[in-house]
Amino acid sequence: MTIGSVTKKTLVQLAVILVMAVNLIPLIIALSTSLRDPNNKTNPLNLFSQISFESYRTAFERMHFPQALMNSIILTGISVIFVVLLAAMAAYPMARLKTKWSKFLYLFFLSGLVVPSQMVLIPIVQMINSLHIPTSQYTPILMFITCSLPFSTFLYTGFIRSGVPEEVEEAAHIDGAGLFRRFWLVVFPLLIPVTVSVIITQGVWIWNDYFFNMIFISRAADSPLPLAMLGFLGDQQNPTQWNVLFAACFLCALPLLVAFLFLQKYFVGGMTVGAVKG
Amino acid sequence: MNSTVMKKSMYFFAIPALLFYLIFWIFPILRLFQYSITDYNGFSQAYNYIGLDNYKALFNGDTLGISVKNTLIYTLVTVVLGNIIGLALALLLNMKMKGKGIYRSLAYIPTLFSAIVVGFIWSYVYIPDYGMISTFLDKLGINDDNLNFLGSYSSALYAIILVEIWKNIGTTMIIFLAGLQTVPNDLLEAGKMDGCGPWRLLQHVKLPLLATAITINVTLSLINGLKAFDFPFIMTNGGPGTSTNTLIYSIYKMAFTEQLFGKASALGVIAFALIIVLTAAFVIRMNKREVSA
Repeated sequence: MTIGSVTKKTLVQLAVILVMAVNLIPLIIALSTSLRDPNNKTNPLNLFSQISFESYRTAFERMHFPQALMNSIILTGISVIFVVLLAAMAAYPMARLKTKWSKFLYLFFLSGLVVPSQMVLIPIVQMINSLHIPTSQYTPILMFITCSLPFSTFLYTGFIRSGVPEEVEEAAHIDGAGLFRRFWLVVFPLLIPVTVSVIITQGVWIWNDYFFNMIFISRAADSPLPLAMLGFLGDQQNPTQWNVLFAACFLCALPLLVAFLFLQKYFVGGMTVGAVKG
Repeated sequence: MNSTVMKKSMYFFAIPALLFYLIFWIFPILRLFQYSITDYNGFSQAYNYIGLDNYKALFNGDTLGISVKNTLIYTLVTVVLGNIIGLALALLLNMKMKGKGIYRSLAYIPTLFSAIVVGFIWSYVYIPDYGMISTFLDKLGINDDNLNFLGSYSSALYAIILVEIWKNIGTTMIIFLAGLQTVPNDLLEAGKMDGCGPWRLLQHVKLPLLATAITINVTLSLINGLKAFDFPFIMTNGGPGTSTNTLIYSIYKMAFTEQLFGKASALGVIAFALIIVLTAAFVIRMNKREVSA
């Protein structure tokens, strides 16, 4: 190894650290500020000058963290289960049948990707009002499921086409299994890799969504985490509130950060399954 | 394939998803067209058909032009800058170095935060006097009294675009990194043997092989940009003035704060047409290029 290649390596390493620092500095400052007492108003740039969890305690109480966390888990959990079942089922005929209809269905679902959900919401709010359907904590789930279908059916269809050979089904057919059992007992278990990526890609956006929750949920006790954050809107203009605001931000992000720490491989793999297959 | 195995009755599997999709996605879009020719206000059930008045009002007013212009700027900048930065980051983190995995994870972290959290943190970055950028400039002794990123007409839009790029860069990078893993090593070696420098390797070997990743990233950021809503909503309320009004934010504001559901629906129809045309034009173009490549 020459001296030249050693310095090149060091330069690359330095460049990476510099890029990362610039990229993550807002998060680092926010983290350091959140670890201060609520009334500690020293310059935020003095990183980690105090380590205290007082601001976290205040934020924890103000956003009713345990309840908001529970609401988030319920909303995301129910939505994701339905997305997986509905999208996998819908993808099955789209991947297997080679008719005009199946091609149409595929494009029909895929075209939903470009429609902004805020637009669809005007008629839906009207529909719910005029039919006097009571909105509840669970109303956003309907929208979460619907909005997740285009991308999820796209992932499942691609995976069944290229990753589940028709021969395995033929064998089951010869053994006398009907369509229903063939799908649930033979095909569905083979879809685990793509199911993981559907759960992660859709789970992350549903977990982080504040918009549908904001429109449909009116009781504070029903708020999931991102909606509980909305209660801090306006505080970002007020420097005296920053310590608590940032603590709330990290409390809100904590569950996904923890999940990412343990399931990193799946997060990164999940993002790319659809991408590379394209 | 044997048609007794792959039966038409498979279509029944699509029915549950199709029902959701039709009721909560397709039907509302059709209703949007209907509302766009009424004076519906969102509350009273009685409304009148007023023909194309909503459209006329939109084409005569300022909102439509400003929103379209802002949305196009937003989209263009996020697509171009987001992909260049994402590709650069992917190339950097694809080099041989210690702790590569950790750096990749760190770069991915911003994508895990909710838009609302990202909006809060970046509001702090931009705020005058006390904010991160102001404090930095103060330390360096640079006068920043007139610096108000979110409060000035000329910079607010670009300030929130930067936040959008920052939030999505992790996803873009991961997709590029996955694409880079498919570049065969012997091809790079062959290029080096032929005397290609790093730039020419990138231009003639890596980029053509990244075509799929580029298509996906550009398509995703294009759709994302045209649908921009979060940061105008959380960080600027469309302001100052109308300088950060994107199409979708304008629709939301018209419908839910000004109670003009009819007019908002008309704007929705126009936005819908614009988004479909732009995305379709782009996808068709991209498909042609990939086939010929």
